[in-house]
Amino acid sequence: MQDLLMQFLSNTGFALADYRHFIMIGIGMLFIYLGIAKHYEPLLLVPIGFGILLGNIPVFKGLGLGIYEDNSVLHYLYFGVTSGIYPPLIFMGIGAMTDFSTMLARPMLMLLGAAAQMGIFLTFLGALALGFAPNEAASIGIIGGADGPTAIFLTAKLAPKLIGPIAVAAYSYMALVPVIQPPIMKLLTTRKERLIKMEEPRIVSKREKIIFPIVGFLLCCFLAPAALPLLGMLFFGNLLKECVVCERLALTARNSVIDTVTILLGATVGASTQADVFLTPQSVGIFILGAVSFGVATASGLIFAKIMNLFLRTKINPLLGAAGVSAVPDSARVVQVVGQAEDPTNFLLMHAMAPNISGVIGSAIGAGVLWSFMMN
Amino acid sequence: MPVDVNVLKTISIFEDICEANLHKLSSIICPLRVCEEEMLTRRGIPATNLYIVTSGNFMAFFKGGQSVTLHNKGDVIGWSSIITPFRYKGSSVALTDGEVLCIPSRKLLRLVRENSELATKLIQKINTVIQNRLPFVNGQPVVENETVRHAA
Amino acid sequence: MLGFEAIIAHNGFAMAALGISIVFSGLAVLSFAISRLYKALVLWDNRHETVKRIRNTLTSSRVRGPRIIVERSDEDQEETVRLYHMLADTLEKPFALPAFLELAVNRGLCHPYSTVNDLIKQGYIQPDGKGFYCWKC
Repeated sequence: MQDLLMQFLSNTGFALADYRHFIMIGIGMLFIYLGIAKHYEPLLLVPIGFGILLGNIPVFKGLGLGIYEDNSVLHYLYFGVTSGIYPPLIFMGIGAMTDFSTMLARPMLMLLGAAAQMGIFLTFLGALALGFAPNEAASIGIIGGADGPTAIFLTAKLAPKLIGPIAVAAYSYMALVPVIQPPIMKLLTTRKERLIKMEEPRIVSKREKIIFPIVGFLLCCFLAPAALPLLGMLFFGNLLKECVVCERLALTARNSVIDTVTILLGATVGASTQADVFLTPQSVGIFILGAVSFGVATASGLIFAKIMNLFLRTKINPLLGAAGVSAVPDSARVVQVVGQAEDPTNFLLMHAMAPNISGVIGSAIGAGVLWSFMMN
Repeated sequence: MPVDVNVLKTISIFEDICEANLHKLSSIICPLRVCEEEMLTRRGIPATNLYIVTSGNFMAFFKGGQSVTLHNKGDVIGWSSIITPFRYKGSSVALTDGEVLCIPSRKLLRLVRENSELATKLIQKINTVIQNRLPFVNGQPVVENETVRHAA
Repeated sequence: MLGFEAIIAHNGFAMAALGISIVFSGLAVLSFAISRLYKALVLWDNRHETVKRIRNTLTSSRVRGPRIIVERSDEDQEETVRLYHMLADTLEKPFALPAFLELAVNRGLCHPYSTVNDLIKQGYIQPDGKGFYCWKC
């Protein structure tokens, strides 16, 4: 009996735990706290936080319990991440809930989304300089696209071992967009520029909204075929929404599908962040580069907007450049808040959605481009 | 895209509601731009959305030709979406370009069922609107000083 | 290998430059296509309306009230008020606002909805409290 008891106790988490498990559990609890108490991206941080708890309970290897063990439930659920299934489904839901009309009304603002994607490639260079392998550097660079599903999709293809720290970094910084962006926005713009009011956009017809996803998909995927899974699903979801006759499918895509996939993705990505992978000097480098990438992306968008104003007769508010960082709709909201702090009557939110959405498209194209470079 | 919470705070119908509930409401409410002559509701069709005016001018008109014009921020259109049989009792049209907040009634009712504060405060305010417009509905006789005029 | 050496060894600068160019070009082409799309649709719409107008002129036998073509402007406000007063006089007092609007639309008046809104705000058209309206009741 004593032997049985000792055997049982030696298999409990208490016997198997070391300090690193407790650090990760603390991080998981912090994420849950930030999500619930502070409302920082709760739909992402709560599943990821609990996933971290799931993945860092010390278990005896070989029992088929851990996420990296074959035949475990978590491993099967994680398959959707490693095989790149979940991110395109999320993109389909995003397409089904996004109104592209602000972008269609003022196509020029799409260039701000393009400019903000410089954050991806400059971070890629930074990661190479720090000694990361090219495929790892590409996965780290995509954090600068500020798009969680895109980051997970590319990392699953190029550097699956880094999914945990990269996903956590990407989603953490997306949640911190309201903290990271405003100081950069105020630093790089003058008060006079922040006060610029945008012209009312034109009304976009239903036909344009229906034709756009088809035209957009064909153009983008002919240019960057590697972006097909993400952009294809994004535009497909949007077509379901706009064509009206498939409202039931669009409703499912933007509710049940995206919610289900977000739960599974968040929990399994969190569970994959195990201490031996996460608590390494590499992860510290990833986090630092992630913060830098967000800053660079914001700055690129802002500076490009100011350059555009040199050539435009009707000036645009350069704050819109910050919305090119594709954390939809948080960065657009940040632009609204910063703009309204200067002038409460200045409503920039709908205008900021245009670069915001084009940033999503741009980051998917960027991911496709990096993937095709690494495949060669 | 969901409306900003700060916009909701400026509307009288939401003024007594706490921050947490405003956040829940903001996640289901979408701003909608309308232009002159655009119809928001049609009498008889299933009532799926409730609209709150944020800017612009609107007219709601009913079976007997009676109508009411709405010019103020916070005016409500489409209250039938939260009352059985969930069919619009009147039609409404934009007299000028403007913006409304669109609230899908199914989501609103779900939220209200889960939250008693919202149920008390919000629905109470919408009830006031309903009572003011009810005499115009169904071409009911409008009685004033013993003179009955049938609006149909 | 670290720093610039690492970047050069892995062809980093070329990949970054090409990548940024491709992303930028892609979105620029998409932006251009969207701006042309709108114009193409407008052109297509106008073609139908032109054909319809020609057909209507040749075949229409519908009796209409006299078409009044008035451009709204501040200088012509008095004229606008006079025209709408004339229309109001043709209706039973008090009148239903939707019927009044329909009349204004049939007469071909420009922007009847916003004009009626302005007349209400300026007090020319007043509600009678029972859902109907009259001209300066």
